[in-house]
Amino acid sequence: MKLNEQKFFELAKENKFESADLYLKRNYSLSTSIFHGEVDSMTEHDTHTITARGIINGKFGSATTEAIDKDAPNFLINSIKRTAGVIENDDPSIIFKGSEKYHKKSVFNKNVLSGNIQEKVGILLEIERKLKNYDKRINEVVTVGYEESLSEEKLSNSYGLKLNSKIADYSYFAEITAKQGDEVRTGFKIFASIDPNEFNVDKFVEECAKDALDKLGSIQCPSKKYPVVLTPECASTLLRHLLSSVDAEEVQKHTSLFEGKLNQQIASKKLTVIEDPLRKNLFFRYFDDEGVATNKKAIIKNGVLKTYLYTLQTAQIAGVEPTGNGYRAGSKASADTAFLAVKPGRKSKNELFSEIKEGVLITELQGLHSGMNSQSGNFSLPCGGFMIRDGKIAEPVALITVADNLVNMFSNIKGLSKETELVIRTTTECPYIYISKMSISGK
Amino acid sequence: MLNKAQGLRILQKGLLTGADYAEIFIEDKTSQNIVIENGKVETSSINRTFGAGVRLLKGYQSVYGFTNEVNEKSITKLIESLSKSFHEKQCVFLDNLTKKTAKTLSKSEIPFDTVSDQEVINYLKSGEEILSRFDKRIVRTNASLSHQHSNIQIINSKGFIILDEKERGRCALSCVAAEGGKIETGFEGPGASAGFEFFLKNVDIKEVANRVAHNAIMMLEAKECPSGKMPVIIGNGFGGTLFHEACGHPLEASAVSKGLSVFANKIGQQIASPVVSAIDDGTIPNGWGSNNVDDEGNPTQKTLLIENGILKNYLIDDFNGRRMGLTGNGACRRQSYRFEPTSRMSNTFICNGKSTPEEIIKATKFGLYAQSLAGGSVNPVTGEFNFGCSVAYIVRDGKICEPVRGASIIGTGQDVLMKIDMVGNDLARAQGMCGAASGYCPVDVGQPTIRVSEMTVGGNGGEIK
Repeated sequence: MKLNEQKFFELAKENKFESADLYLKRNYSLSTSIFHGEVDSMTEHDTHTITARGIINGKFGSATTEAIDKDAPNFLINSIKRTAGVIENDDPSIIFKGSEKYHKKSVFNKNVLSGNIQEKVGILLEIERKLKNYDKRINEVVTVGYEESLSEEKLSNSYGLKLNSKIADYSYFAEITAKQGDEVRTGFKIFASIDPNEFNVDKFVEECAKDALDKLGSIQCPSKKYPVVLTPECASTLLRHLLSSVDAEEVQKHTSLFEGKLNQQIASKKLTVIEDPLRKNLFFRYFDDEGVATNKKAIIKNGVLKTYLYTLQTAQIAGVEPTGNGYRAGSKASADTAFLAVKPGRKSKNELFSEIKEGVLITELQGLHSGMNSQSGNFSLPCGGFMIRDGKIAEPVALITVADNLVNMFSNIKGLSKETELVIRTTTECPYIYISKMSISGK
Repeated sequence: MLNKAQGLRILQKGLLTGADYAEIFIEDKTSQNIVIENGKVETSSINRTFGAGVRLLKGYQSVYGFTNEVNEKSITKLIESLSKSFHEKQCVFLDNLTKKTAKTLSKSEIPFDTVSDQEVINYLKSGEEILSRFDKRIVRTNASLSHQHSNIQIINSKGFIILDEKERGRCALSCVAAEGGKIETGFEGPGASAGFEFFLKNVDIKEVANRVAHNAIMMLEAKECPSGKMPVIIGNGFGGTLFHEACGHPLEASAVSKGLSVFANKIGQQIASPVVSAIDDGTIPNGWGSNNVDDEGNPTQKTLLIENGILKNYLIDDFNGRRMGLTGNGACRRQSYRFEPTSRMSNTFICNGKSTPEEIIKATKFGLYAQSLAGGSVNPVTGEFNFGCSVAYIVRDGKICEPVRGASIIGTGQDVLMKIDMVGNDLARAQGMCGAASGYCPVDVGQPTIRVSEMTVGGNGGEIK
């Protein structure tokens, strides 16, 4: 399946487009999951999506199609004309001529695409068996699954810019329930990588099992302000929401918490956040969706905001260089980040716990789509975790909520652990973060 | 789309290795959206989704694949690859297919392809103007309308080719209000399985805009919600999110069939207080969550879920129904051909009770009145749910008092259903997008005003005084 790109660009010229681009994305994936010793699902797919944009009279038009046939160039051109025709916004519309230098590396490892799903089913069965035998309180293995995928991107435009990338990755996931009396708790674990040799069954099983087992016996703690430690998963989730205010568009539209705060202290001196899109891992990317080269850069250094995140459009409005943070969302790019690394501290997580007489370790956050207001920074989120008593992890807690303001919270960092974890969901390598006080409501 | 002979040949190949069911789902959907921000058309795009999903079932096993090369050669290649999962003798033989066209439940009087972009823009601007003029503290406004038209073809080894055509539209109005470092938002998003006439006749966009702006400003001025346990009155319409999360998801066969739901094996038992009856109805004409047929080709149904507190039915798709010894009841859905379909809600609501909303407020000495909710989530295994309140007030001595912001509510479905002690007579439905295993599906949530005798309320405003 191939689009006649030449025809598209010829038609764009005929129709007096000032410039145009094409973004082709291919996704291939093979996945399977088991339940009670048998394969209960298997999925295979291969899809191609084309997004095309064009500038007419200074306005962007945009169209996407999955029907890649001989009519596709005409469909794209006509849709771009129609959509560009209604735009009233005067913001600059730009298709990028190209960066001076691209740090292209190959992260594609063809061995990730095993093509041998039977062998993987064998590993899944081993995981299921080991989970069941791990502890008699594990009463159900809800699912154990595997997925391998290939993702290819190709960007080309009427200025002759041509960029492409290809990455293959794989993941394992498992969900279990553990039961004690009438109490049921769930445990979940996901592992993803681009290195086929990195997966360790026993470590995976242990982490999944403990995720459920450790929560058994959960109680509600009394409502008050506690010192709180957040796991890398929870800390990076909240950090991602804080960083939505670093988007230059939010700043330009006066809805950012950090308007006018460039080069000022916005968080604790202990917080340093680096964007490192060129790290050779699952999240590697050497150009953004607008074709701008990516680079390693500090977003927050020792608590000082070092840069906003720009797309081509917001960079031009601000009169600065784009930062390689343009991500596609329909016809318009909005700012986002690739891989983030939060600078770790010097103490171990156990040393952080040892400083706390009575506190809460939060291991799970829920309700982010309703309880988080990224624009005001206020949040009130259901969560779960463990009490910390006399410096040690004590009983599990559940059905509690944690409430604070993002800016306030990241200003109250008391410590970061030296251990870090790569959190897949937030694409962030993050330590445990110790916050001096947060509001917890329970019983 | 495939013709009869092509569909038959592909399914026959899929059945060779012992699958007991084979299905091809082809979708050709064109959607358009127009977004107005701060008074000007900001973006517009046209998207065409086109592809085929292929499903083979054998007992409790399913294999699924999808491609957007919709032709006999590619789909045959895919189904042959999928069928390698099975290694047995053929057990289902198919020699003919019968064409069926789905009965249209929702007619469009003014299909969107007959409406000019300028008409849509004028309509949106009439609402957007109200938002931006309402108060100078409103710093950002957004008005958008998206609509989609789909042609669906489902070909299955039950021997049918089912054709369906549907149209949906939804508009969204939102604003951001800011003052002195505080930022609050307002939002409403009415939609329907209908053409542009729904918006012209049923949605007074100026009135919606007034409410959205009013709520954002009111929340800006509101105090932080106190935390603790208290009675909670939940408003009609979008308040139905509570039931959707706490009860709807755990009643889906995807959770029930594997015994993974708190409500598994509880048909005929009391799971809610006797004042609660609830229905899922995928057949409401022009309903946002309605469909002519579900995504495996079964006609949608009106299903009584709970009657006077007694659990009556689950929401079932054919595949999960196998583990339960039941057949699907028209509740099988998917976001697109990219998703394997499973049991999902459509338009789900608590039925009217006997109290008036005023009586419910009057009967409450102290509590939270959550007039509108901001969405939530649930763990179907434990029943634990949470949701945020977008508009909420404190109730004191039977009267609605000051507004409060930042309120969230947590609990377990089992517990909260038993604690509903008053149900109003003002049933209303509201539109949302529900995300689960088979992607995002349009759904209506709904309920009259209800009261829960006690819930845990989270907020930043300290303990109750």
